[in-house]
Amino acid sequence: MVDFARVQKELQECSRDVERSGIKVSPKGDGSLARLIGTIPGPTGTPYEGGTFQIDIALPDAYPFEPPKMKFTTKVWHPNISSQSGAICLDILKDQWSPALTLKTALLSVQALLSAPQPDDPQDAVVAQQYLKDYQTFVGTARYWTETFAKKSSLGIEEKVQKLVEMGFPEGQARTTLEAVGGDENLALEKLCSG
Amino acid sequence: MASEAEASEIASFFERIVRERDLSLFVPFILGLASATPRTDPENPDQENPGRPTPQERLIFINPFAQTMMVVEGDSLQELGMKDGQPPASKASIDAMPCVKIVEGDGGSECVICLEQFEIDGVAKEMPCKHRFHGGCIEKWLKIHGSCPVCRYNMPVDEEEPGKKIEGADRERRVEGEIRVSFYVQESTRASEDSEQTPSGDFNASDSSSSPAADHDDMQS
Repeated sequence: MVDFARVQKELQECSRDVERSGIKVSPKGDGSLARLIGTIPGPTGTPYEGGTFQIDIALPDAYPFEPPKMKFTTKVWHPNISSQSGAICLDILKDQWSPALTLKTALLSVQALLSAPQPDDPQDAVVAQQYLKDYQTFVGTARYWTETFAKKSSLGIEEKVQKLVEMGFPEGQARTTLEAVGGDENLALEKLCSG
Repeated sequence: MASEAEASEIASFFERIVRERDLSLFVPFILGLASATPRTDPENPDQENPGRPTPQERLIFINPFAQTMMVVEGDSLQELGMKDGQPPASKASIDAMPCVKIVEGDGGSECVICLEQFEIDGVAKEMPCKHRFHGGCIEKWLKIHGSCPVCRYNMPVDEEEPGKKIEGADRERRVEGEIRVSFYVQESTRASEDSEQTPSGDFNASDSSSSPAADHDDMQS
């Protein structure tokens, strides 16, 4: 059983500090505290600067004795993050987890990973190769992905999905339609109504 | 027909891997996952078939570049998930942690595992590195990984897990459960086959069949 009392405390602590850290954690909206969404700002001075990255968090039953499962839902071009699935290669999310870490400190570590890629221990071999062999192209691609997928306009997709669900559309359909129209909720609504 | 086509497809796939030394295939990949009947009773996990090991889950990794194949089965499979983490602390070292009383001066400190504040006059467990936690919290953690949650101080670990020693040799052998097999794929398999066929045919004809037979004939006549 997840220690929900602890999770509750973590959420409070995190929201108290959100102005300074920029790191947000909120429940996914299905009423359970086992599924959360984390948000981290791209670190300044990196190709991720100006982007806001969403991370899907699933708490295993044994949390905090087991690490939270985290993956990017925002597409990101980084040697240690899968460009396909968003899977993150980070030791503290695996065998180096400690129960003294929290969702916030884990997200801070993920943010630090954005600043300091480890191409020798890659999650995405293609990105890592590019990073090592053609750094300029890597920076260009990473910046382009940030512009395309992590800027404000692409934010809040979960809230938009939620809104459409409240209007009575099935969640899956709402999500795919929103994606198809690039996140514009009015266009999505039009499409859902006409379809 | 279909299976023949499949087989040749697989063969050409391996040939291609070896020929092109494709980097993306450098990572060992999972060839197959075979699972068999669950071997333990969920109600009573300790009660296994005492005599004979049953077939279990099995992973086959093939690394074409090191030209090795690794079969991992059973218990080692579960360990794969937790590899490299600090092993559990020994029971003796957990029991040896002193209980310390929380006094006024410690005010405001909390157990970093459950994030609850320590109660004044309450009792906490203290690790050798002097970090304090609720007894229940730290014991649960140390039974999974024997390191301090705060500073990663490593607790003593048991030399061998007690369960493995008591049971028979069969069990011990199965716990190891890893088989490494080397194999070689010649880059020019086709070419070498073709070139060898004719000479070896000639060789057989002259050496093994005709001359011994001739000897035989001579002896008999």
